[in-house]
Parts: sequence; C-alpha cells; structure tokens
Amino acid sequence: MHLDAKIPGGPLAEKWDRHKFELKLINPANKRKFEIIVVGTGLAGGSAAASLAELGYNVKSYCIQDTPRRAHSIAAQGGINASKNYQNDADSDRRLFYDTIKGGDFRAREANVYRLAQVSGNIIDQCVAQGVPFAREYGGLLANRSFGGAQVSRTFYARGQTGQQLLLGAYSALSRQIAAGKVQMFTRREMVDLVLVNGQARGIVVRNLITGDIETHTGDAVVLCTGGYANVFFLSTNAMACNVTASYRAYMKGAMFANPCFTQIHPTCIPVHGTYQSKLTLMSESLRNDGRVWVPKNAGDKRSPDQIPETERDYFLERKYPSFGNLVPRDVASRNAKEQCDQGKGVGETGLAVYLDFRDAINRDGKDVIAQKYGNLFQMYEKITADNPYEKPMMIYPAVHYTMGGLWVDYNLMSTIPGLFVLGEANFSDHGANRLGASALMQGLADGYFVIPYTIGGYFAGAKLPKVSADQTEFTIAAKEADIRTKRLLSINGKRTVDDIHRELGNILWNYCGMARNDAGLTKARTLIQSLRSEFWENVRVPGSDKDINQSLERAGRVADFLEFSELMVVDALTRRESCGGHFNEAFQTEENEARRDDENFCHVAAWEYAGEGKDPVFHKEPLVFENVKLTQRSYK
Amino acid sequence: MSWFVNTLGSSIGKKLMMAISGLSFCGFLVAHLAGNLFIYGGRDAFNSYATHLHSLGPLVTIAELGLLTLALIHVLTGATLFYENLQSRPQRYAVNKSAGGRTIGSATMPYTGAFLLLFVIFHLLNFHFVDKTHITIFDIVSKSFSHPAYVVFYVLAMIIAGLHVSHGLWSAFQTLGANHPKYMPIIMMLSLVFSLIVGIGFGFLPIYISLIA
Amino acid sequence: MTKTINLTLKVWRQPSTESKGGFETYHASDISTDMSFLEMLDVVNEKLTMDGKEPIAFDHDCREGICGQCGSVVNGRAHGPEKGTTLCQLHMRHFSDGDTIAIEPFRARAFKVLKDLMVDRSALDKVIQAGGYVSVNTGGTPDANAIPISKEIADKAMDAAACIGCGACVAACPNASAMLFVSAKVSQLALLPQGRPEAARRVTAMVRTMDRMGFGNCSNERECEAECPKEISITNIARMNREFFKAGFFSAVK
Ligand SMILES: Cc1cc2nc3c(=O)[nH]c(=O)nc-3n(C[C@H](O)[C@H](O)[C@H](O)COP(=O)(O)OP(=O)(O)OC[C@H]3O[C@@H](n4cnc5c(N)ncnc54)[C@H](O)[C@@H]3O)c2cc1C
Ligand code: HEM
Ligand code: FES
Repeated sequence: MHLDAKIPGGPLAEKWDRHKFELKLINPANKRKFEIIVVGTGLAGGSAAASLAELGYNVKSYCIQDTPRRAHSIAAQGGINASKNYQNDADSDRRLFYDTIKGGDFRAREANVYRLAQVSGNIIDQCVAQGVPFAREYGGLLANRSFGGAQVSRTFYARGQTGQQLLLGAYSALSRQIAAGKVQMFTRREMVDLVLVNGQARGIVVRNLITGDIETHTGDAVVLCTGGYANVFFLSTNAMACNVTASYRAYMKGAMFANPCFTQIHPTCIPVHGTYQSKLTLMSESLRNDGRVWVPKNAGDKRSPDQIPETERDYFLERKYPSFGNLVPRDVASRNAKEQCDQGKGVGETGLAVYLDFRDAINRDGKDVIAQKYGNLFQMYEKITADNPYEKPMMIYPAVHYTMGGLWVDYNLMSTIPGLFVLGEANFSDHGANRLGASALMQGLADGYFVIPYTIGGYFAGAKLPKVSADQTEFTIAAKEADIRTKRLLSINGKRTVDDIHRELGNILWNYCGMARNDAGLTKARTLIQSLRSEFWENVRVPGSDKDINQSLERAGRVADFLEFSELMVVDALTRRESCGGHFNEAFQTEENEARRDDENFCHVAAWEYAGEGKDPVFHKEPLVFENVKLTQRSYK
Repeated sequence: MSWFVNTLGSSIGKKLMMAISGLSFCGFLVAHLAGNLFIYGGRDAFNSYATHLHSLGPLVTIAELGLLTLALIHVLTGATLFYENLQSRPQRYAVNKSAGGRTIGSATMPYTGAFLLLFVIFHLLNFHFVDKTHITIFDIVSKSFSHPAYVVFYVLAMIIAGLHVSHGLWSAFQTLGANHPKYMPIIMMLSLVFSLIVGIGFGFLPIYISLIA
Repeated sequence: MTKTINLTLKVWRQPSTESKGGFETYHASDISTDMSFLEMLDVVNEKLTMDGKEPIAFDHDCREGICGQCGSVVNGRAHGPEKGTTLCQLHMRHFSDGDTIAIEPFRARAFKVLKDLMVDRSALDKVIQAGGYVSVNTGGTPDANAIPISKEIADKAMDAAACIGCGACVAACPNASAMLFVSAKVSQLALLPQGRPEAARRVTAMVRTMDRMGFGNCSNERECEAECPKEISITNIARMNREFFKAGFFSAVK
C-alpha cells in the first residue's frame, strides 16, 4: 500500500493557501445533509465539533466523561504557543515551524508543521474572542512567556490553567451548538469499535456507560479526537480514562498506526511513593528556570539534604551541559535523572528521585519573588507530599506524559480509511519524535478549528456516500462482537484485578520501553507482554454486570487493548534502528550520550498495518522529505 | 409586564423582594427605635411623641399600609423560598457539617423570621389594636411590662430580631449586588453593629420600663 | 514520613437511581497516609473485588484537582475537610488512625444519584448551554490584541473562570443552590469586553434555566464559597445579581 500524504505542491509557505483554494466546496445548503461523528471533546474534538456545526453540518459528539468539559485537555498547565511576535523578539511562522521540526528531531512532516505555525495566531484570536482570560500586562495587552527552552517568548497562558481555559472556550462554543440543535451530545459513551461500509468509515459502536447498552451510530464521516495512549504505562500524568481503545479499534479496521514508540517522558513530576499510586502529577517545566537539579555525589548517601555539604552535591545537569544547564530539553533531563538513580544516587524513600533545589534562588531573589513565580506549584507540591519546598528541596522524577505516535493521517488529517479523520494527540502528525512544550494545545486547536472544517468538505465533495442505516449487517455484527467481548471479560472471573495486571504491564513498558531502550530489553518486553496478555484473558476478575455502571468493566476493556497495543509499541521500537527524540535506544548514542539519529535510513514515518490476530503487523514507510530545513544534530553542551 | 413578573418571579427576583422589604424594615426599625427613645424622657415626653405621630393623620395610614404590603411581600416570599429550598434537596445528608460559611443568624433565618411574624402580630394586638381613648400609650406599655413574663418575652424577641438582621442586613446588600472587596467588610461590620443596636436598643426598653414601673 | 492507619468507612451504596440506597460499613486497613482519598477507595475496591463483591462506584478522572469529575461528601463536607481541595487531592494524612468516615454522594434534587457515589450533574451543562458562551463562530475574529483589557479585569475574569464545574457548591449549599457555579460563568463573561454585547441575554437565560433545573435559592449562607475547591468568591454572585437586575429592568430582554 502506498502512503500518500497528499502534500500540496508549491513553496512551503503557500501550500496551505493553495490547498484551501483547491479543495472543493460544499454548498452551504447541502452541508446540513451530512452527519459527522466526532469522538472526543478535548481541545481537538470540542473545537472540531463546534466549528463543523457552525458551518451547518450535523454533528454527533461523544465523550467518556459526564460532560464534555472534563476531557483530559483540561489538565494542561503551561501554555499554548503562537507565532504572534507580540514581544518583538523576531518570532515568525518560520521560526515556530523550525523550532517544532527541530524539537521533534526531524521526524515530522514539513508541510503539516508549517501549516500549524501559520494558523497558530488565529487560535489566539479565536480564544480571546470566546472570552478566554489569558494573562495580560498592565497595559492591557496579552502577556507571553518563554517555555520549554524556546529562545523567544511565544507562549500564551492563563495562570497555571491554560488547558482548562482553552477547553472551556471550546466547550462553550460546543455548548452553543448543542443549544442550537446542531450538535447532539452523547456523554458517558465509550467508543468500542469503528464501522466501515464499503471501505468507508460510516459509524461507530459505543457502550453507554450508564445503562451498559451497546449502541450503534451512523454518520458520513468519523472524526477521532480521542487523545493519547500514555496510560499504557499505567502510571502517567494523563487522566485516568485516557486510553488507546478508539485508536486501536480503528487500527484493527485498517487505519495505520504511526510511530507508536515515540512517547515523551517529562522530567519534573512528583515521584512515585507507593504501589497503590494511581497516577502521577506533573510539576510545570518552568520550575527548572530557577530550581537546580542535584543528587548526592556518593551513591547510597541517605543524609537529609540540608546535611549534605555543597562539595558533596552533584549538580549533574550543570556539570554535563554547562551552557544549557538545568534547561536542557525534556528527554535529556529525564534520561540523566534516571542515569543518576540507576547509579544508586537517587534520593527519597524509594531512591527514585532527584532534588530540584530552590535554596540558591531564594537566597538570590528572596522568598517573595520565588513565591510569586511558583507559589501555586509549591502549594500543590506541598499538598501532595506534605513537604515545604521553600525549606526542603523538591523531589522530582520523570514520568510518561505525552505520546507523539498515533494514527497515521495525510495532510487532510484523514487516516488510511476513507472518511476516518484523526485530530489532536490521537494522530501522529506534527511533533515528530519529541514534542515541544506548549505545542500540543496549539495542535489540537489548529486541527479542530482551522484544518478539519476545510478538509472534511473536500472529502465529502469527492466521495460517494450512499445512505447507511444502523440495521445494516456491518453495524449489527460490530455490535454483536462488542457484546461478546464484554460478556467474555465478565465471564473469566479469575484471580487478578484489572489494575493489578495493568500495573504489571506498566512496569514492563517503563523498564524496557521507557526512557532508555535496548534490543535485549525490548525483546524481553515483547514476550512478557504476550504472556501477560494470555494471563489477562484467563485470570482477570471483572466483577459486576454489563447492564449498568461498571467501572471495572470499562477499565478491563481499555487494558485489554493496551495489552495488544503495547506489543506494537515494542515492535516499532525494535524496528527503528536509531535514537531520536523520545525514542532512545542505547545502542545508538553519541560519545556524549546523546541520541544518534540515522537520517540515511530512518528519516521516515513508520506506519503499521494490522494483519490480523496473532500476526505480526505490516510495516509501511512514509519517507520524510526536508526541503526547507537542514538536518542537524542537537547539542546542548 | 411579563418581563416584570419573570424578573421578580425568578430565584434572584424573589431575593430582590426579600432584600428591599427587609431593608425597609431595617429602616422602619431605626425610626421605631428613635421614637421609642422618648420613653427615656418619661411619660409625658413619650405620650406627646405618640400624639405628634398620630397628628400626621393620613401619612401614618399610608405608612402603615406600606408596611403591611412590605410585610406581606416579605412573609409570603420568605415562606415560598423556605418551601422551595426544602424541596431542592429531597434526600438529606446523614452527616451535616458547616465549612464555616454559615452563621447562627443565617442558618436560622426562616425560623427567626417566623418567630418575628408571631411576635409582630402579638405586639400589634397588644399596643396597636387597643382602645386608647381612656388610657395613654405609656400606661399601656408600662402596665404590660410590669409582668416579668412580658419582659422576658420581649427581650427574647429583640435578641431574635437582632439575630435576623445580623445576617439580613449584609445579605440584602449582597442580594442587591452591592459586594465590593473594599466595602463589604464595612457592610459586614455595620450588620453586626445594627443587630446589636436592635437587640440592645429595643431589648433594654422593656427592662427599663419594668424597672421604673 | 509514611505511616499507615486503619479506618472504618460508612459508604453510601445505591445500585441505581431508582433503587433505595443505604450505608454499608467497610474496614480500610493499612492505609498509607501518603495516599489520596481516591487511592484509599481504590484499595478498598481492590479488596471488594477479590472478596467477590461489587466495588464502590465513584467518579474521577484527572486526579489532580482540575477536571471536576470527582467529589463526594465526606463527614458532612463536600470534597472533605481540607479547604480549597478536591477529593482527589485530599490526602489521608489528614485523617487519624481509628477514624470513622462517612462518605455520601453530592445530594440535590437537580443531581440524581446514578450509582453509589456517582451523580448526574448534567443540569450544570444545561445552564451553560442556555448562554454560557460568547456567540462567535470560528474565524473572522479580530486580532487578539485589538481590545486591551486591564490586568485587573483580566485577573478577575480568570478568578471566576477557574471554576471546575464539580458541583461542590450545590452539594455544600444548605439550599442546593447553583448560584456560585452560574455566577462564575456569568461574571467571567460579563467582565470581559468580548462578553458584554450579549450580557443581558446571557444572564437572563442562564438564571431562568438554573431555576428550571430545580436548584434551590441562594440565602447567602456562603457555604459554597467556603467549600469551593477553587475558592471562587461570592462577589461573583453579587455581580450576577447586578447583571440580572440590569437585564431584567433596564434592557430590551423580555
Ligand atoms: C499534565 C499535563 C499537562 C500538559 N500541559 C500542556 C501544556 O502546557 N501545553 C501543551 O501544549 N500541552 C500540554 N499537555 C498535552 C496536552 O494537554 C494534550 O496533548 C492535549 O490536551 C490532547 O488533546 P486532545 O483533544 O487530543 O485529547 P484529550 O483532551 O485527551 O481528549 C480526549 C477525548 O476523547 C474522549 N475519548 C477518549 N477515548 C474515547 C473512547 N474510546 N470513546 C469515546 N470517547 C473517548 C475523552 O472522553 C475526551 O473527551 C499536557 C498534558 C498533561 C498530561
Ligand atoms: C422586623 C422585621 C424584619 C426585618 C427587619 C427583616 C429583615 C430581613 C432582611 C434584611 C432580610 C435579608 C434579605 C436578603 O437576604 O436579601 C431578611 C430575610 C428573610 N426574612 Fe426577614 N425581616 C423581618 C421580619 C421577617 C418576618 C416576619 C419573616 C417571616 C416569616 C421573615 C422571614 C425572612 C426569611 C425567611 C428571610 C431569608 C430569605 C432567604 O434568604 O432565603 N422576616 N429579613
Ligand atoms: S478527579 Fe479531576 S478534579 Fe478530582
């Protein structure tokens, strides 16, 4: 199968304009004849559903939570990038494009990323018009900060709750369309399958999480905005309901999965403190602007931090990266923290943490200045750990945070299944092998507000879409299969809980497919996953019935898919014989322990095709062509 | 006029009626207390104040009708709110605990209110709807307060009135939308002072009269 | 330092909306004081599952205090005893060994119990749908810096916008009123110039819908403000009242 990314011709900066002009239009009166299924109400899904409804399409929108406003996007703290150049620091579309491509370690498509930069400014305009209360300067204009090591200040923020405010903006637009009758909202529904008719995506199967009913819904196109799969690691910074089910089911129906091994580990999270732990909490990256990262010089030093004299501390990031110091990118900071802990220098009860110390910053700037900058973060930290970071250094450790991989999409955001579009974190499109801070929010909203409204019209204008009904066999069979699967999960009645198995899966991935990978570990992980999967289907215990609310059953379904998907991740990691961004294979590193890319052989997107149960997935390659940037090696020394 | 009914009939509209009528009562209480202070001037001073007041003729009637209307509004709306609020949580909590927002005054508004209604009726029957052709108002009052039970009941009623306005006054400002970080502390303080004035100011009168009687 | 405690839980169990519920007693032993309240419930649920019983259903998602999905009434307090804290961010170190903890769902006529501690809060969405938005379509908006907004106003709007829609204000209000929730949205949009053009229409529609949904009336008892995990102020309620009177008496909105 040939992967056609459908990248428009012409110079980079003109591609999107040209494409918009060339896309066929749908007559406004005809738009209401189309019905679009949008799964997910995060930034991507919320903005897409609202914008499509505004255009006149009939939209059906679905989410797992009790209201669309609670999608995982709500938790994003730091901010959203846009190339507005409000700070007059020489930012531009081109610079944002370049930073994103380079940050992604040259594993993303030029055309997509350039378009992202181009529409980034519109997003801010849109959000302000919706009443999103971004931070402002005394003069009344919008404030910006520099984020994630960027050289320009292009990040817009709303206190530490940017994701919340952006999502509430999209949710308000969605609510308006629900009130107008243009969006039909289905909350507490979990998509468990995709339905194809004549090879086109024409509907979904969902489980009603209140009644337990398996429902089928038809449409002329399906837009998946179901977020990332970081929860495959069990512990991550993602919300509890984040899952791979929707994407994985689409994959099983023929949508290709791209770069599943590209996962991002965030360096500043609150460390794990016990086996009961259910999720990890991110502490904003901005802390590294003033905090100094260190461990004791001697392995096994169990003294309390204030007892460790300056000479016996190792500020390892400052030592190894004199010019960037504590501000090295996420992957570098994370790997170094792990390395220190592996050498037995980790601190805290578990030995899986490093210090992030504000002592010097407080001495330099005073407590008040530090409190103004980080007060709410310090408070949050104290709430969780009962330690006061003004007095005792914070303890941090890396945690899984974001997944760059996702369903493969072309320039129109359409997957390899006609009529199945994928937006937001669920697709693979814009971040390559590593995502820069504050650009996931930008991408989700770009996809939903400014890309899909145009490209879906292009699809409708060119597609033959005969009427379908939920009574058709394609739908009844899919519903039946979903029902059988649910019943099967309930009937096993084994000896291990769903969480117990999920936790074990997480450990396998964290140890062998996490921050640093090697062939032996990955190979081992694959067998471990396979046997865990068999154990799951023989020994899991899912209590309750399928006819009412059953949260164990919901989790069981998700974990079953994680158990399948994780193997794909490992296979992808094994196949990519290089290190890049979030994928670090120890066999491929420079003398300075940096990721060593292999641009000659691996400058491509790895897209995996489902081959059937028990069969190895089929590899496809979309070569990445760089015409506008020069591929360079990152160096933060 | 449907807009008028819609606005006043809404939850916030009902509170508006409570606030305006309640504030008017507070105003009335101030006037009433000022008048009652004549008692400290002795029998003649108080009686001449009463005569003076009644010489205003129709103005008094208008004020009385106004007060009656406000009372009807306050009582009927208050009763409606109380009933609706009961309905809004059909299944109560097994454990109730305050997070620190409510005060004794706020938590007892409907009950102190209901008590005040009974008190006002009693009070009017006692001192207002009585034949005053052969006896001065001062004598009626001092005769009543020579019974200790009367004194106790009145003092109690005034404490309850104080409690009602301790929440009522600032609450009315909040309802009317007059909440500003700069002024709210002052309004809160004013409520407290006002409730003390009502409680002590009115409450001391029966005691004083019983002492001189 | 980590230590463990033993607790007695009295948990409201109710199989469905229609069925009658009641309290069940469970023992939670060896609970680490570093656990969050929900992690403590996870532990209890794991045990219930292995004992062949149905685990306790409770809503949650982000577990970091921002999505607003979690929430129960713990010992008479919405989201438990800590100020400015959601249930998922409440840690067990705030309890002592041997404590008995009563856990009930948020209760209000407008919030039906779905199962155990899970309630239906869709009434809040209905209120937002009535007008909690600025009527702008995607595209065609002016430059974000076209209208300067003073920092003071922007900050106030943000204070109001911090609402996570958890419904604790309703749960904590002696009258089960939703005024704090509704006023937070009305305030945010009434403060910002972008929200002014339809301010009158918005507040009227939202208040009427709120009333229709069966919430109680506000008696200014301030329990909502005291219990709100985001510490949203009742000055927003005062602002909404002003907006409502302005709209009702001085605008063209009927
Ligand atoms: C703690 C944290 C902080 C972050 N901070 C930032 C930041 O500062 N800046 C930044 O740019 N990015 C940040 N990110 C990343 C960013 O928040 C996410 O990548 C982004 O919000 C994803 O949006 P989305 O719309 O694609 O998906 P989500 O917001 O995850 O939404 C997924 C939606 O799909 C629904 N759904 C999922 N599965 C199903 C199913 N099977 N059936 C039905 N519905 C389903 C869910 O109910 C939900 O509505 C952060 C992430 C985390 C975890
Ligand atoms: C001297 C007499 C009275 C005065 C000065 C007075 C004053 C007030 C004031 C100022 C308020 C606050 C309104 C608001 O919150 O906006 C109030 C509330 C209330 N009053 Fe009175 N009142 C008096 C008598 C009564 C009576 C007789 C009743 C009885 C039935 C009553 C019942 C109530 C109730 C129930 C409330 C609370 C309404 C609510 O917040 O839901 N009051 N009163
Ligand atoms: S689970 Fe999201 S706020 Fe508690």
